[in-house]
Amino acid sequence: MTCARFREELGGHVLGALEPSECDAVAAHLARCPECAAEHERLAGLLPLLARADGLEIPTAPVAVEERLLDRVASEHRGRRTRTSRRWAAASRGRGRALAAAALAGAALGAGVTAFALGGDERPTPGSDYSLVLSGAGGASARAEFAPGREGTEVHLWVKGLPPDGDAVYEVRCERAGWSASAGTFRADARGRAYVVLTTAARLGEYERIRVVRRSDPRDADVLTGEV
Amino acid sequence: MPTPPRSAAEDAVLVERLSADETGEAMRRLYRLFGGELYGFALNALGDRGSAEEIVQEVFLRAWRHAGSYDPGRATVRTWLYQITRHAIIDARRRAAVRPGLPHHDPAEEAEGASLEQAMLGWQVAAALERLTPEHRQMIRMAQFRGLTMREIAEHTGLPLGTVKSRTWYALRSLRLVLEEMGVVPS
Repeated sequence: MTCARFREELGGHVLGALEPSECDAVAAHLARCPECAAEHERLAGLLPLLARADGLEIPTAPVAVEERLLDRVASEHRGRRTRTSRRWAAASRGRGRALAAAALAGAALGAGVTAFALGGDERPTPGSDYSLVLSGAGGASARAEFAPGREGTEVHLWVKGLPPDGDAVYEVRCERAGWSASAGTFRADARGRAYVVLTTAARLGEYERIRVVRRSDPRDADVLTGEV
Repeated sequence: MPTPPRSAAEDAVLVERLSADETGEAMRRLYRLFGGELYGFALNALGDRGSAEEIVQEVFLRAWRHAGSYDPGRATVRTWLYQITRHAIIDARRRAAVRPGLPHHDPAEEAEGASLEQAMLGWQVAAALERLTPEHRQMIRMAQFRGLTMREIAEHTGLPLGTVKSRTWYALRSLRLVLEEMGVVPS
């Protein structure tokens, strides 16, 4: 038998899963082939590690923890902004309020965009399960399409009429009474339009309404809302 | 489904983005990558779902607050998160020792630390197995965890014996590479 054939026996040999005669043949080959012996040693080093993983199954990360975590991070970010704002206000005393406000806007924002904005492209989504119209104040509106996936629901959202604030970060939430799951965040373009594809861990049937809120709004007021 | 290949450098970039990212996306991604295994580790160590959830939440908050101190040259993100979790578990056990109602563990802290190190290793290997293809994972599980021979696996799966043998070899080689990439074994 060639080295290549013996190599294929090494997995079974390392795991003690060969028949006794096969095992003897591999052992004899290893005694005279340093390359195969080195490969065997590399693989054999896995055995004690594998023994530690026996019976361990990676569980799904709890969705509730994810939501609490993101809420905590968002609220601590708000706290940081407030503290930054106070420092800026103190530093700018005597230099004019307008100048300080402009500097603050630049300092507080600048986070990465989490979804992509494509303007007004309203192509239908293949595989979407149902759709929904969301309405909001000031002429803002949106259409959402939902497609179930293995990990939750994919949400396609077409938004228009948002205030022209390129720095505003909006969050999409799937909710029912006493329960909320975030689908992610997006920014709109200069015309207040966005097309985003987000994924929420919530499954179809687990939520009753969709809300879009401005992430930095401490009142958590609806920007857009729609009942499922 | 195997986890898509991801490099340690990509994980490090994610941590770098954490503190400045007001959208929460970096945190969400980090949590979805590592939350499951860290939750399993904490649940196994504490034996209580509520406590394990608290620990995992605390771990990611600590990671967020101290993201600036993460040094990719010293440890992978996974190893760093596991170390934070280990400390959080030890803290929780200390609190449990003075709080009735939570599981009480051996107060011999050195032994406790060593046992947590071993458990951490086990969970990282379990995570590495998850990153293999289902076919490769199946071979290792059947031979190592169920104690079947190559011949018995061939009979059980209906695959030719040669395929079972070569697949097992490739499975172990893949596992070794994943563990090297994760920093669990030296490359």
